[in-house]
Amino acid sequence: MKGTELVLKALKDKGVKYIFGYTGGAIMPIFDEMEKQKCFQFIMSRHEQGAAFMAQGISRASVGTSHPRTGVCMATSGPGAMNLVTAVADAIMDSCPLLAITGQVATGVIATDAFQESDVVGVMMPITKQTYMPLSVDKIEETIHEALYVAWTGRGGPVVVDIPKDIQLQETDADYHFDPETYEPDLPGFLYSPSPDRDRIRQAVALVNKSERPIILCGHGVITSNAGRNLQKFAEKAHIPVAFTLHGLSAIPVDHPLSLGMVGMHGTVEANRALLNTDLIISFGMRFDDRVTGNLDLFGGDAKVIHVEIDPSEIDKNVKTTVAINADTGQTLNILANDHELVNKPRRVWFDQIEQYRNEIKAATQKEIETGLGAEGELLVKTIITRLSDITGGKDIIVADVGQHQMMAARFYNYQTPNSWFTSGGAGTMGCSLPMAMGVKLARPDERVWSINGDGGFQMNIQELGAIMEHNIDVKILLMNNGYLGMVRQWQTLFYDGRYAGTPMKNPNFEAISGAYGIPYLKVSELDQIDGALKTAAEHPGAFLVEFLCDPSEIVLPMVPAGGGIGDMIVTRRT
Amino acid sequence: MTTAQTKRRAILAFMLDRSGVLNKVSMLIRRKMINVDTITACATQQPGISRMTLTLREDSDAKALQLVKQIEKLTEVISAKELDIDQSFWREVAIVKFEADNEHLEQLGQAFNFEILDRQAHEVVVAQVAGTSLMIDNFIDQIGRQKIIEVARSGFTAMEK
Repeated sequence: MKGTELVLKALKDKGVKYIFGYTGGAIMPIFDEMEKQKCFQFIMSRHEQGAAFMAQGISRASVGTSHPRTGVCMATSGPGAMNLVTAVADAIMDSCPLLAITGQVATGVIATDAFQESDVVGVMMPITKQTYMPLSVDKIEETIHEALYVAWTGRGGPVVVDIPKDIQLQETDADYHFDPETYEPDLPGFLYSPSPDRDRIRQAVALVNKSERPIILCGHGVITSNAGRNLQKFAEKAHIPVAFTLHGLSAIPVDHPLSLGMVGMHGTVEANRALLNTDLIISFGMRFDDRVTGNLDLFGGDAKVIHVEIDPSEIDKNVKTTVAINADTGQTLNILANDHELVNKPRRVWFDQIEQYRNEIKAATQKEIETGLGAEGELLVKTIITRLSDITGGKDIIVADVGQHQMMAARFYNYQTPNSWFTSGGAGTMGCSLPMAMGVKLARPDERVWSINGDGGFQMNIQELGAIMEHNIDVKILLMNNGYLGMVRQWQTLFYDGRYAGTPMKNPNFEAISGAYGIPYLKVSELDQIDGALKTAAEHPGAFLVEFLCDPSEIVLPMVPAGGGIGDMIVTRRT
Repeated sequence: MTTAQTKRRAILAFMLDRSGVLNKVSMLIRRKMINVDTITACATQQPGISRMTLTLREDSDAKALQLVKQIEKLTEVISAKELDIDQSFWREVAIVKFEADNEHLEQLGQAFNFEILDRQAHEVVVAQVAGTSLMIDNFIDQIGRQKIIEVARSGFTAMEK
């Protein structure tokens, strides 16, 4: 067999259905073999970054389900591979399994600055879990199987397999044999401990039982280990409020009575105030990112910390733990939720206090949402998201880009479906939403998918409208157009004396663009048009673009200023 | 950049002998803005497994522990740990080219255990000395800075008691 056939065989053996990519000189042989075999559905992105985000969508949407699937993207050598870099770096930040296969120049000319040659292994090494370059044809299958094992085992992450063109074309010897069924990777150091230590569990439960003011921080690991139900059971059984990291959202219904909503820089008042006043932080599958903790010197106070985390290098990294449980979040929560020692304490004082936090800006926010318009009569994003949430019953999938609208979507959508919220969190990559939403839709075709964008990020991967058009991918695109890079503008308003450097933007005619790609379009500038437009988009069989003319001066509050502690949270607008 | 760190540490790691591991370890250390003093690697008794000894200066115990955990997280790394200075041997080899007459060599020979590798040119000696860092420092001092032509030190290799 040829190298190209072995690449496809390995992917087939692992149940890959979709391949996203962009061809070119050094990857042509694999594309040629795909055309011969017609064994995958190939989606051509219009830029390699789009392909990698589409692939991320497949992984993100299927992780934690009974059929997790790896998103696979392909690109040619040099510029093709380099265009993947941003989305690969994004995947490692968000622990997203991803397989990128890149063509490389032939081994005979590697490291001679050959045409379209880049040192892919060198560039990818620090932003992947593992990078490979098989140097003989009989290593190809094994390499891809090991790569996928690494991508999914323990904390997820991207892997890259860079295959020189001559290796793709090599023929195996007659005695070549590889059995994917019995294959086990030979990685003696790549161990992870999924089962929690019983003593640590006992210590954790004792701390929980003793605590008067505990808080649960629900991280991404709860979703990737499909542990939402057990988290809810644990929280209900021990009677503990739950706050979510950005990627922990949608693990349990966000309107659950114990839910405090999102925590952190743009978290809710109740989540942040509770975190500030807690005596015990119980964190599951999260890494105490700076957007969660604010200034670390001011974080946590005297609170004890239980940290459940699969990646041992995250434990004690930012926050010193009292009880560290280095284990799979799902397995740990399964044990904790069914622990007989766990005591249900009323914690009345604590919950009374939390009720006060909840009410601090509730009425004002509610009023703002109902008013729905800024000072100049333009729409507020929080109102649009709230309407979307009401109309869909919080049951649809939301894929947000990066910026103000992302934080609004995190705060004001009432997530009801497990793992129904996707965005670029750690890396904060503008332009992620449109291609990621396409991958999500392909992975979960029976659910409705909304891609929420600002006018800045939308134009970073706007070319993927071409792929949506070509493959009739049913993504509902909401464009919150305020003519600015809104989040940076917000910082400029608050911290740079209102000098709007590099944030105002002259935008194209989005209706014409939409029309050029054959995607139906509605423009919404009035409050009473919102519901109708959202319903029209929801009911339309196929992609739809709704552009909202939004208020550029709307800001996302509360906000913990960068470098400040959670206690420095800005709750109401001063200017 | 960062203030000068004074606490010297040694990290010993065992890893699969695959291309790129050294690169990954050194990139990780650079990313953490730690300066490496020495780095040595060699094969072990077990085929396919290498050992690497790193010495570096880092005052923060937490930061050093984090580095060890992150090295250990690398796919190819089997184990990594910081060596307790009192419970391990750190040794290096130096090859020293220097000027010395017979009398001087005799004096050195009484104080140090070294091997002369070459003495072809008149009064220019190439000698090999192995031991603790302090011992090698002393050997070099004893020769005298003005007599030294060239020094090559291997960097540390280390083993636990």
